[in-house]
Amino acid sequence: MEAIWLYQFRLIVIGDSTVGKSCLIRRFTEGRFAQVSDPTVGVDFFSRLVEIEPGKRIKLQIWDTAGQERFRSITRAYYRNSVGGLLLFDITNRRSFQNVHEWLEEARSHVQPHSIVFLLVGHKCDLEPQRQVSQQEAEKLAAAYGMRYVETSARDAINVERAFTELTRDIFELVKRGDITIQEGWEGVKSGFVPNVVHSSEEVTKSDRRCLC
Amino acid sequence: MPKNAFTNDKITPTHPVMARCVVFHLLLTKKRSTRKNKSDQASGQKSSDVACRGSAQSADTHNTLIGLCYKMSDNEHPATDMQENIKGQIPKESPPPSQDVQSDSSADVAPTRKTRKRPENKPPPEVQESPGTASVAENASKASTQTTVTQGGWGSWGSWGKSLLSTATATVTTVGQGLSQVIEKAETSLGIPSPTELSGQMEKEDDAEGTIPSPSSSSEGKPAEGDGNVLGSAMGMLSSLSSVVQSTSKTVISGGLDALEFIGKKTMDVIAEGDPGFKKTKGLMNRTSTLSQVLREAKEREEQQTAKDVTSETEKKAHYGMLFDEFQGLSHLEALEILSRESEAKVKSVLTTLSGEELTTLRDDLEQIKESFSLMEFDDEEVDDPQVDDGESFVKELTDALKKLHISTTAERLGKARKNAFDRIMDMKIPSEAKQQQEDGSEHEATVTRCTVEDVHFSAITSLAELTARSIEQFHKVAEMLLHTSTDGVTALEQAKVLAQITVVLCKEISVLSKKFTACLATVGSNEKGEVLNPLITGVFLEASNSASYIQDAFQLLMPVLEVSHIESTADSSH
Repeated sequence: MEAIWLYQFRLIVIGDSTVGKSCLIRRFTEGRFAQVSDPTVGVDFFSRLVEIEPGKRIKLQIWDTAGQERFRSITRAYYRNSVGGLLLFDITNRRSFQNVHEWLEEARSHVQPHSIVFLLVGHKCDLEPQRQVSQQEAEKLAAAYGMRYVETSARDAINVERAFTELTRDIFELVKRGDITIQEGWEGVKSGFVPNVVHSSEEVTKSDRRCLC
Repeated sequence: MPKNAFTNDKITPTHPVMARCVVFHLLLTKKRSTRKNKSDQASGQKSSDVACRGSAQSADTHNTLIGLCYKMSDNEHPATDMQENIKGQIPKESPPPSQDVQSDSSADVAPTRKTRKRPENKPPPEVQESPGTASVAENASKASTQTTVTQGGWGSWGSWGKSLLSTATATVTTVGQGLSQVIEKAETSLGIPSPTELSGQMEKEDDAEGTIPSPSSSSEGKPAEGDGNVLGSAMGMLSSLSSVVQSTSKTVISGGLDALEFIGKKTMDVIAEGDPGFKKTKGLMNRTSTLSQVLREAKEREEQQTAKDVTSETEKKAHYGMLFDEFQGLSHLEALEILSRESEAKVKSVLTTLSGEELTTLRDDLEQIKESFSLMEFDDEEVDDPQVDDGESFVKELTDALKKLHISTTAERLGKARKNAFDRIMDMKIPSEAKQQQEDGSEHEATVTRCTVEDVHFSAITSLAELTARSIEQFHKVAEMLLHTSTDGVTALEQAKVLAQITVVLCKEISVLSKKFTACLATVGSNEKGEVLNPLITGVFLEASNSASYIQDAFQLLMPVLEVSHIESTADSSH
């Protein structure tokens, strides 16, 4: 059982369609890269534990939203209960970068009264030759909005862990400092349970418990 | 069966489906005021008494059948009719005035509200049950069953037979309260808390009743602390239920199939009743108001419990709530609830903008759609299929039904969940057979290769949780597609009927799975003592009934979605 975690953070992943949101999440949660991926319908869900310090695990509940415009009204409803999010654009697609601003605006207006911590992700960084958005430019934009910037590739598994872990650490710090508090009726941050004895490895309990006959 | 069959009081109970359905209802309809009869309820004797009547059909059930059927489709004024039908059997008691579960703030959505209205039942403060005689009726529908359900306990299990989904959830947005009520009712009927505790609760409930927040305000989520041990431990409560049920589990085994129905029907009925306990529970708990929230809390409790237990045991316990969450069932449910709530608001606002003929037409249309959500039959006849199949027919049936919705969605994930369950069953079968062959082999080997009952139980709970999570995911996806694609060539009404059909298919499959797994349990645990095996078997049945309830609740959440879809498609066609 993956019962032992300190907090659960709900993250939302947004960005234009086809920038690779689902692929990034799948790489992170399932450790694999799907060459072909159907467009997300509405929203899908993933979760994974992240160990931010030895013995301190955070459970990430990731809401993978559809980038397609037609689902926009659905995804709006999901911001409110998220504590953080990854905002993706495709470095080979300038348009997706230009839309970052719009995504942020939308998120900010729907997350009230809570705040949400975003991390800007330039995705598909393995496709360097087709790059249309420079790293500098993206970093500048991120800084303007007070976000971190990370370039990732789901295909080559570059910085995928880092993107999620850094966001998780940032949120964790805010929670520790009391800037973000657990609130009843808000799903963004949930408190877990600290066990008396921390198992050497979660895999011990997590192991496949189907009949091992 | 045509839907008007339910309203035709000439119908005879000889119709096989109907008869069956009614027998269950009669058997299972709950008499809530069994708090005083804790000892009765715990008595296995009594339970078996009731359970054994699975096929009994007495002549005087016929009258009540009519009354019941009547009631099924007509919540507005059945009480008097019922009373006539049951004349001479039960002391009359006029039902207390109906009360809406939700705040009835908008007159424009009256149809919605009306279907949710149910007779308000005040539990009589003192109800003595004497075996063999009917006791004071709580309300007409319950009263009508008194003659057959003479004892408390198992007789109190609710009914799907009432038309499977009849009015499944008392309200769409307050499903969670339904669940909490299940818990409360389960507690009271099975006598989990001590009578003194209960009476304390009742007092509190009464106190709380006046100050119930409207669902809309509570859905904003201001769950209070306190009393968490009552509701928060939903699953915990259910697991302690199983230990109470344990005393009756001989019946459960021999009753096999029926046990699930008992449990499931109980849950359904309880959710469907929408009686004062509903409000009371809510007042008492003063907590969450959505199913996903309740489930989430239950899961969290389980997690904490597990974390505590981690040191002590090898920890073979299967936690349905946690597994359900791991399969992302909770998230899909929550997302579906959001969509459902938003759709409901949209329907409301559209209705306020219309007037005259337009309004009447739309209301009629919506009413029809609603009916598809309240009239369902669960024909359990073919469920007794002992064959272990990999779910091929299940997937085919689903796929065919999904096609009729005219939206792009497949049964792939559900099929996979079903296949996983099948694989788990096969995994368990093979080693136990292998073990028989090598009976003379070293004892050590035998114990290594053999499944323990805990293994089987874990597989069962996992499979149920997975299939349920996928079912809810399916409904969630359907909702998203309905809202965001135009569906040509099919009306919302037709879609509603297809979805009702899908719900039946899913619930049936849950039932099938639970039977297969309990059969496995019985085989694997043939040498186990009753006290080891029985709670496991009951546990599987309990979670199966919960699963079916969640699926049906999720189905109910689709109603406003279909209404919006209908409104949008009619708007499109008129332009």
